[in-house]
Amino acid sequence: MTFVQKYLAWGAGVLALLIALVFALPGGKVRGFDASGFGNLPILEGGRIKPLDSLARNSLLVIHGSQGFRHEGRSVGPDEWILDLLFRPQVADTQRIFIINDTEVQSLIDDKGKKLGRDNYSFADLGPRLEEIQKQASTAQPIAPQKRTRFQSAIVNLFDRVYLYYKLRNTLQLAGSPGLGWEIQSLGTADANLRHQDLIQLAQFRILPPLAGESPDAWQSVGQALSAASKGGPLHPALPPLARLNAAYVTDDAAGFNAALAEMDGVVSTLKPGALAKASRELVFNRAQPFYVGLSIYFMAFLALCISWLWKPDLLRPTAYALLCAGAIVHTLGLAARIILQGRPPVTNLYSSAVFVGWGAVILGLIVERMYRKGFGTAVAAAAGFASLIVAQNLGTEGDTMEMMRAVLDSNFWLATHVVTITIGYAGTFLAGAIAIAYALRKHLATQVDVETDRALADMAYGIICFSLFFSFVGTVLGGIWADQSWGRFWGWDPKENGALLIVLWNAIILHARMAGYVRERGIMMMAIFGNIITACSWFGVNMLGVGLHSYGFMDQAFYALTAFIASQLVLMGICYAPARFWVEKPHGKA
Amino acid sequence: MIKTIAARVWAFFRSFQLTIVLLALLMCLVVLCTLAQVEMGTQGAVNAYMRSFVVWHQFSGLPFPLPMFPGGALVGLLLTLNLIAKTLDIKLSWGKAGMWLVHFGLVVLFAGEFVAGMMQVDTNMSIEVGQTVNFVQSYKNTELALIDVTDPTWDEVYSVPDTLLARGGSIAVPGTPITLKVKRYFPNAELSNRAEGTPPSMATAGIGPSVSVVEQPLVSADNEMNQASAFVEPVAAGHSYGVWLVSVGLGAPQSFIHEGHNYVLSMRLRRQYLPYAFTLKQFRHDVYPGTDIPKNFSSLVQITNPSRHESREALIYMNQPLRYEGKTFYQASFGKNDTLSVLSVVENPGWLLPYVSCVLVAIGLLAHFAIVLRRSLKRRQDKKEG
Repeated sequence: MTFVQKYLAWGAGVLALLIALVFALPGGKVRGFDASGFGNLPILEGGRIKPLDSLARNSLLVIHGSQGFRHEGRSVGPDEWILDLLFRPQVADTQRIFIINDTEVQSLIDDKGKKLGRDNYSFADLGPRLEEIQKQASTAQPIAPQKRTRFQSAIVNLFDRVYLYYKLRNTLQLAGSPGLGWEIQSLGTADANLRHQDLIQLAQFRILPPLAGESPDAWQSVGQALSAASKGGPLHPALPPLARLNAAYVTDDAAGFNAALAEMDGVVSTLKPGALAKASRELVFNRAQPFYVGLSIYFMAFLALCISWLWKPDLLRPTAYALLCAGAIVHTLGLAARIILQGRPPVTNLYSSAVFVGWGAVILGLIVERMYRKGFGTAVAAAAGFASLIVAQNLGTEGDTMEMMRAVLDSNFWLATHVVTITIGYAGTFLAGAIAIAYALRKHLATQVDVETDRALADMAYGIICFSLFFSFVGTVLGGIWADQSWGRFWGWDPKENGALLIVLWNAIILHARMAGYVRERGIMMMAIFGNIITACSWFGVNMLGVGLHSYGFMDQAFYALTAFIASQLVLMGICYAPARFWVEKPHGKA
Repeated sequence: MIKTIAARVWAFFRSFQLTIVLLALLMCLVVLCTLAQVEMGTQGAVNAYMRSFVVWHQFSGLPFPLPMFPGGALVGLLLTLNLIAKTLDIKLSWGKAGMWLVHFGLVVLFAGEFVAGMMQVDTNMSIEVGQTVNFVQSYKNTELALIDVTDPTWDEVYSVPDTLLARGGSIAVPGTPITLKVKRYFPNAELSNRAEGTPPSMATAGIGPSVSVVEQPLVSADNEMNQASAFVEPVAAGHSYGVWLVSVGLGAPQSFIHEGHNYVLSMRLRRQYLPYAFTLKQFRHDVYPGTDIPKNFSSLVQITNPSRHESREALIYMNQPLRYEGKTFYQASFGKNDTLSVLSVVENPGWLLPYVSCVLVAIGLLAHFAIVLRRSLKRRQDKKEG
């Protein structure tokens, strides 16, 4: 590698980091309105204080499936969307953000004989059929999720999205009313109390910080504050600026809006010092989207490496490595940011386990690459990092990924020990599987037999399997000890425990079979690929059974993805087993 | 001849084939047990697959079940023997010290699971705020209690376990002059108000005559309960007190008087009385602000133990159980608008074994990997030099 090549390679890595940094910078104003400043307002939702921006992003993810959409020829971001939804529902209602795939649900909504197929609907489109949607959903809701039909799942899913939208729409003002200012003026008039009750009931979040002298958790919703004021109490100091924000946005007065926002920020920081700063830290994290950026960089790294096998290997292999390092840095920073924001160890739910599995695989891959320098470490690390972050992105569409921990999980000690060790075990098993896949494909694609590379790959896989056995065993036993501490038994054959045990058993079988000489290079590789299936099943499969103490979340969509993954791994095992054109059985010593 | 057989047995038990076959069988069992939990409930599936020597399956056409698969107990036992044989077989050298520790730790772990399977007793204790409770009760097993409530300050409890009731016949209740004649026993039954015109009940006394009893198949899922019910006839000194219906599903107390003693008949979850009592002083159920996501459950109990002259407070909360007199009390559930706390109570004499095992195996694995790493580094070094 020449000097220039080296600089070019690392230059690519630095460039990737710079691009990542650009994401974290604040965007411009929307039509002169400081929408991002509005998104920075702290609120209490789901038991924690977060910026309104987080709620907007997560709600849009739940409702629309992504964090932005196109409307009337331009793209609308989460902060602008939530502003419209909160203050100008008549505008938000025409935005077609409800994606409906199920044709039976579609036929329920529109009876005009329109051609059915995946389509977007606005809240206004759904309006006339809301009662029917609610009626159908309420018959389906009592049925256990895994026993619902496709239609029932789809209608419940649609209802949940519509209901979330409806609640947001009526959190700061009742949709259709003249606005918050009018509501403050008409305190004490007839019907006002009824409207306050509606506001209290429908509030999705609480935006008014606790007053001096109240409990630090006593955030109020607009309805609660209005109701308190109508009973003779003082008006919450944040209500007037909020009303001005509302009025200015509706009348398209950008300067007035920004001034009211500054006033609102002032009130918030007097009442709850630190909340604004906490919210803006999370806002930067949201904007930076480190895992999305990371997965893009991993993809570039993988691409560079693939090309390096055909063209300019001396330049592209180090470039791929540099990109992988850049991706790992972004990924690590994202992970660290989550740990700091949440005050929790890295793995707290399925989403963060996917992020962490990817991170573990990438770091292990980097180490392997440092040791062997054949490009395979980079390839499998980039592929594993990319794949697991894709999985994470898909898992993250179900709402807030930094949700509060249920009482039984509320233990940083066990989350840091058991959960982290077992997730490292998953990461290792997947990485070994990925190396085995690389081995299998190489066997068929490489133009010449290279015993030494095969041997190196087998060594890598073996080393990583040992590593995974250690972590998955220790993690499983630690899990048993946690269970003994919280449920009173060390081992209860609960599905999740069984899943972890399967990984331990499988890795143990691989090592024993190798030690006894029953399998050699190819056999170990096939077994390592099968390890992917076992890990995926124990990671996600058990959540689909919906039984046991560990089933905190049920996912139906993921079932098809899991089935497809298993099928693909079986095919790869077949590929690994099939003798290639260049396959020659080499004489082996005892491995 | 004997020597060769012994050698063969030895060779069989220390072979790697056996290890791998057994591990593979265990994997299959774990998968089957997990899948079976959807239908059978966790406890049912564990009993059928893991805590049995053979997994039986009842085919619909056959009158008897067929053995389908070796059960967890059998596989576990063989694996333990295999493990012991292998452990003995590992060469006694420092290089193998790590593996020695690992495999010895696994033996301890298996022993722990055996002890748990054989000897662990799971019960629970439900206390309302302010109430004092001096017993734990079973989750599923029932008993017929005959309670002498003559003395208002002291209840004398005589109980007949459901297993004895199931055998039927006459049961003399020790300590009392009463003999219970079991007319019929239902392991699970559905009770309902007896409609006009239906055949008369077997019961002649108490609430029984107005209740109709329909036998139901046994259930094993975790959230279902068998309603054990029976028709019993208390007889004392040749005098019958009528046939009574007793059931877990009946709430109202039923009693009769014999020679000045007032006896209450009650079918209930099996109780074990303790030489100490717990009083629930406070129960907390905290949620995250603005949500109903539980943040914390805790029970503050007063332990009163006359035999130890002890009276102290203890706080039982999530991930922080109370270990007391061989039993461990965990915060498990709650009810009645947060005024009732349910503690699950576990008695497992082998609870320490997994902890010991964990330490042994972790040290063993670390030692082994350190040894291997050192060896491979040395090999690399040699390669470089040579």
